Amino acid sequence: MLKPLLLPAITPPRWVWVIDVVRLADIPEPERTVIADLACPVYADTSPVTPVAAALRHVAIVSTAGLIVRGERPMLANEAGYRAIAATVDDGDILCSHVSTNFDRTGFQQDLDVVLPRDRLRELEEEGSIGKAADTHYAFMGATSPVKLEDKARELGRSMLALGVNTVVLAPV
Amino acid sequence: MSGLAHYLEDEGLATVIVALVREHIVKMRPPRALWVPFELGRPFGTPGDGGLQRRVLQASLALLDKTLTAPHLEEFNEEAPIHDDSNWHFPGSLDNGGVLAEAASVMPIWRLARERIGRSTVGISGLPPQSAVEFIARFHDSEPMPNPQGMAPVSRARFAVDDIKAFYLEAAMAEGGQPSARQLHEWFWSGTLAGELLREFQQRARVSADKNLQLIAGSLVPAERTDWFLHGLKSPEQ
Repeated sequence: MLKPLLLPAITPPRWVWVIDVVRLADIPEPERTVIADLACPVYADTSPVTPVAAALRHVAIVSTAGLIVRGERPMLANEAGYRAIAATVDDGDILCSHVSTNFDRTGFQQDLDVVLPRDRLRELEEEGSIGKAADTHYAFMGATSPVKLEDKARELGRSMLALGVNTVVLAPV
Repeated sequence: MSGLAHYLEDEGLATVIVALVREHIVKMRPPRALWVPFELGRPFGTPGDGGLQRRVLQASLALLDKTLTAPHLEEFNEEAPIHDDSNWHFPGSLDNGGVLAEAASVMPIWRLARERIGRSTVGISGLPPQSAVEFIARFHDSEPMPNPQGMAPVSRARFAVDDIKAFYLEAAMAEGGQPSARQLHEWFWSGTLAGELLREFQQRARVSADKNLQLIAGSLVPAERTDWFLHGLKSPEQ
């Protein structure tokens, strides 16, 4: 079982003066440092899996934008579960339940691929740069303690392997 | 996200992270990460720029072609320039006869935007856009809006606030152009009655007897758009 070496108290600051729509580097001090210095678990280095050749890669995307399919219950803050988004789900039925004021959603509102680049992934499949774009992509809730996500992350990993996925692009917001 | 990389690799999947906060990657040492110098919320770059999105994706997957023995962090070497569109303006006129009238005047423009963009991200609260406005406007009334679908009222309020923002911001993009995110938010928070409504709602939430409502108050309005920030007052959190 992989466990963090150290587990600092992951308590978000009660108040972070974040400007709503900028790069981290553009956020004025001291707020920038507050975010950059957010307590994170410290992990032992994980031995990297030896990737398969590009032509054999079966790639899924995992977002932390709290993406859901329209009609589902939105994900709540600090929720540990994940949601599956099938390739057949229309772009217009993918919603974002990570509603923090700390990141911009106007990009997502204009173009899903800014957050979940499933069209771009399909293009790579069509040109043969990868073996296959996964039939399903996934989303966790951002800002949830990584330690709290462990069980569900492992469950998802085993599920993806069973579906033939061997490569994951992780996309935080 | 780096924690997910550790867990998934440990289960046997090869991972790459497209990272917006370099400092967190340095601390948590996932096996492979590509740091991108983009706005928070835009890990694959610029909306409508499929070429840039594709290059980010290709660069991240290219990390899998390297032989690694230790965590590897690379920087993506393209920027996504942030600039205002001086020609952009809200593509319509707002009815200033109250926030509900204003929302009604936004509706036809939002429909045009939905048609142009091909989708909408409004709907996380489960309420139609104008009902979301009404839900927030009447949240503290003696006769609040009906809330029949089982979602806790405070959760629905939190998501209704985001739906209102999405409703207005999508409408603002009905005629395209390339307004910056900053420009769009400046318009929403300074130029609409809906922005004013959300600031008022946040003020009420902060002093509410409902502890759950107090808890979400800080996540409703960006700090720089709050009344105490705009008027140089001390934050209630300080």
